[in-house]
Amino acid sequence: MRRYLKLLALAGVFTIVAAACNTGGDTVTTTTPPPTDGETTAAPELQRGGTLNMAMLSDDGITYDPQKEYYSVTWSVFRCCLLRTLMSYRGAAADEGGTEVLPDLAAEPPTVSADGLTWTFKIREGVTYAPPLQDVEITAQDFIRALEREFTPEAGAAYPFYYSIIEGTDAFNEGEADTISGLTAVDDKTLEVKLTTPAGDLPFRFAMPATAPIPEGVTDGHDEDYGRFLVASGPYMFQGADLLDFTAAPADQAPVAGFDPGRAHVLVRNPSWGEGESDPLRGEFAYADEINIAIGGTEEDAAAKIDNGELDYLIDGVHPADQVQRYRTTPDLQARIFIHPSDAVRYLSMNVASPPFDDVHVRRSINLATDKDGLRRLRPGGELAGEIAEHIMVPGVLGDLLADYAPYATANGQGDIEAAQAEMAQSKYDTNGDGSCEESPECNNVLAVTDEGDPYPDQAALLSENYAPLGITLDIKQFDRGTMYDKCNDPASHTTFCLAPGWGKDYANATTFAEPLFGNASLGPDSCCNYALVGATAEQLAEWGYDAPEVPSIEDKLAECNPLQGDEQTQCFAELDQLLMEEVVPWVPYLFDNNIDIVSENVLNYHFDQFAGLGAYEKFAIASAQA
Amino acid sequence: MATVTADPGISAPGPGGPGEASPQVVGRSLGQLFWRRFRRDRFALAGVVFLVIMILLALGAGFIADNIVHHGPNETFVRERLNDFGLPKGPDRAFWFGSDNAGRDVFVQILFGARTSLIIAFFATALSVSIGVLMGLVAGYYRGKVDTFVSRVIDVVMSLPVLLLAVGLAAACGLQPQGCLGGLIKPGLGLVAMVIGLFNWPYIARIVRGQVLSLREKEFIEAARSQGSGNLRIISREVLPNVAAPIIVYTTLIIPNNILFEAALSFLGIGLPPLTPAWGKMLDQAGATFTYAPWMMLYPGLFLFLTVLAFNLVGDGMRDALDPRTAR
Repeated sequence: MRRYLKLLALAGVFTIVAAACNTGGDTVTTTTPPPTDGETTAAPELQRGGTLNMAMLSDDGITYDPQKEYYSVTWSVFRCCLLRTLMSYRGAAADEGGTEVLPDLAAEPPTVSADGLTWTFKIREGVTYAPPLQDVEITAQDFIRALEREFTPEAGAAYPFYYSIIEGTDAFNEGEADTISGLTAVDDKTLEVKLTTPAGDLPFRFAMPATAPIPEGVTDGHDEDYGRFLVASGPYMFQGADLLDFTAAPADQAPVAGFDPGRAHVLVRNPSWGEGESDPLRGEFAYADEINIAIGGTEEDAAAKIDNGELDYLIDGVHPADQVQRYRTTPDLQARIFIHPSDAVRYLSMNVASPPFDDVHVRRSINLATDKDGLRRLRPGGELAGEIAEHIMVPGVLGDLLADYAPYATANGQGDIEAAQAEMAQSKYDTNGDGSCEESPECNNVLAVTDEGDPYPDQAALLSENYAPLGITLDIKQFDRGTMYDKCNDPASHTTFCLAPGWGKDYANATTFAEPLFGNASLGPDSCCNYALVGATAEQLAEWGYDAPEVPSIEDKLAECNPLQGDEQTQCFAELDQLLMEEVVPWVPYLFDNNIDIVSENVLNYHFDQFAGLGAYEKFAIASAQA
Repeated sequence: MATVTADPGISAPGPGGPGEASPQVVGRSLGQLFWRRFRRDRFALAGVVFLVIMILLALGAGFIADNIVHHGPNETFVRERLNDFGLPKGPDRAFWFGSDNAGRDVFVQILFGARTSLIIAFFATALSVSIGVLMGLVAGYYRGKVDTFVSRVIDVVMSLPVLLLAVGLAAACGLQPQGCLGGLIKPGLGLVAMVIGLFNWPYIARIVRGQVLSLREKEFIEAARSQGSGNLRIISREVLPNVAAPIIVYTTLIIPNNILFEAALSFLGIGLPPLTPAWGKMLDQAGATFTYAPWMMLYPGLFLFLTVLAFNLVGDGMRDALDPRTAR
């Protein structure tokens, strides 16, 4: 999620790594403009050919190593183009079934034992890798190799915690076993996975890029730079991948030419990719012959280039507000702007151990006083930036269970100072009961940390106004986004108010909004991302220098929800969301983010990929290539 | 010993010609002479007028905000001044200079930004001048090893990449709530003023040193010394008053430099606390919005330009008035 957070930062947008299961597309609000031909029709007459020109403002930190990448931008490229996984998605918006996890390299949906602990995947026949391994067929052992790499410390994997429920991963990770006992290649085309605890969302976990098959020997000597020697399995590969020579010593191998960090990423067709039946998710697409991702520039540059057709799509970054306005209000351009919920929430995090937020009445008061509509208006796109959030978990994971739930609703989301002051009057810091705690030193200069990039300083100014009637003044510190997250995530920094975080799903299941954000295991600088310190123990609080003897915890509810499956689990997490909002009150959630995409007139058949929260590039057809 | 005032250009010879007593010869003080010359420079006078207005506006920013426009510099009007797409609205009767990305009043921001710029510029300049004059006096008067040491220090400071160091120092001390050097340096306007002031003193030190090296050989210094005056007295009573003119002139020229320096730092987002209006910060924010909200760049840029220009014009005028040999 770190990488995801980086995207939120870099782009200020909506990226969400992953998506998934909830197929209740009809429950997801979309503000997409009137249906466009491209997005709503299969357009079977589209021709292949041409070059899709995309841009990335920065590829700093991007490695294309499937174990290391935890970033929606690279996940979008992996899913569409480079890597196939046992399970995957159809590259569509939620209301088109884009969160439904489907067999990809698996020949059929996995089977699960009665106790929920043993899963069996049948692997599709006849699928091979891209050159130079076009003769190597993908087998069960290749998936085991990928998961073993996930638990090899030298590989620096980003999210092994999703797979730690597989039996034997701890022993393998600690070097006590040569293999992961819970992974068995029953035969070349059958993979058996044994879990230590039931996990109904396992298919979603096997749709993440870290589980993509790795052929034997290709990662040897490439712990740090496998991305530059990546062997693809999707419809595309890096330009020059066919020249990779894995027979040479690793140090003597030349990397692919198509991944030139800081300059360009060039994808060309994988000649060994089988169309149609062998790739049911992408087989009829993969329109562009070449995908060229230019690195660098500014959002303004990209906007101008999209306007004049030099650029087809901006992967990261935010489209300038004036461009969004122009495309929304000009009839001829409306078919080229697309707005979708990105399944991310933006929020203010209150440290429940730090005065004055150690008083739940103050936290509730802050919720009531916050001008959520104002915060939204300050984001690029204004009202198009998303829906005002009244609770924590996005509709993409809860469906419409909490559609009408708004414990701190105010008129038009603008905040209600009177209600906030009435709540504040119950706080121990408002000693005279006048609705303001200005007489308490704890309310003066509350340490608030935010991102120095737009629009966060402006949002901080608005929040300062919002809370002034409550007697709360903010001592605002601005940092680059990475430092901001470090400050928020380090309990010892005593950051009281974290003003700029965002969180998106890794896949469409509420578990990704619970444990990582409010679980005790997610506390501290070596973990992530329980900034509010919910569930911290007395010992931890003392170690980090807090006077608060205890803080609210949701560990019991987490223990209740985690083992459940399906609707029952979703209902449990909806209850957890309510518990958090009313009793724990660690956040002020203010926006369920939208993703705003604008494409050039050269792009036909735009589709949104709900999994990555970005475009489904394999479906982009190139206008100049049409007859 | 009185301040040396002999100057061939002080008064024009009367009709009677040189050496002949003229009834039109009028004795004038140094200040009168300065003013007679200065007021002939209309550009300098215009600069003074502008600066007086700016200072009054800066001092009265709070009053204007409270009683005329009725909103403060950080007051946001997200619904009134931003459209549905989050774009700011331009100048109108309510917001004379338009509004910024957060719906704040650009005019009020400029007034408070002027306060920030002028405070920092004056304090930073005072620090620069104080250090520079002291170092220049000591180096020029004592010469020898002291001069060598001070001159090398000046060389070192002038060799430093000032902007980068200032950025680093301001960032290091400005981002930590407790400041740096054990809390000795706290974030805020004072920090920025100090950072700027600490790096700009060598220029004035060199000028003062050069003047003092020349002055210390003059007869009136010898006379003072022969009368038993100590070094401290000679420096403070004899030397310093005679370098006052270049100090004053240089001070007026260093202020606009410091305003620009502060603008550069705030443009880079360094040093000033959040919610502190500053022209450089406004220009930084205006960069991305120039195509659809040009007023966000126009007004702070214009005021920054005019203020710097005014200081330079006043400085030139003072130099000409104090040293007629350089008059245009």
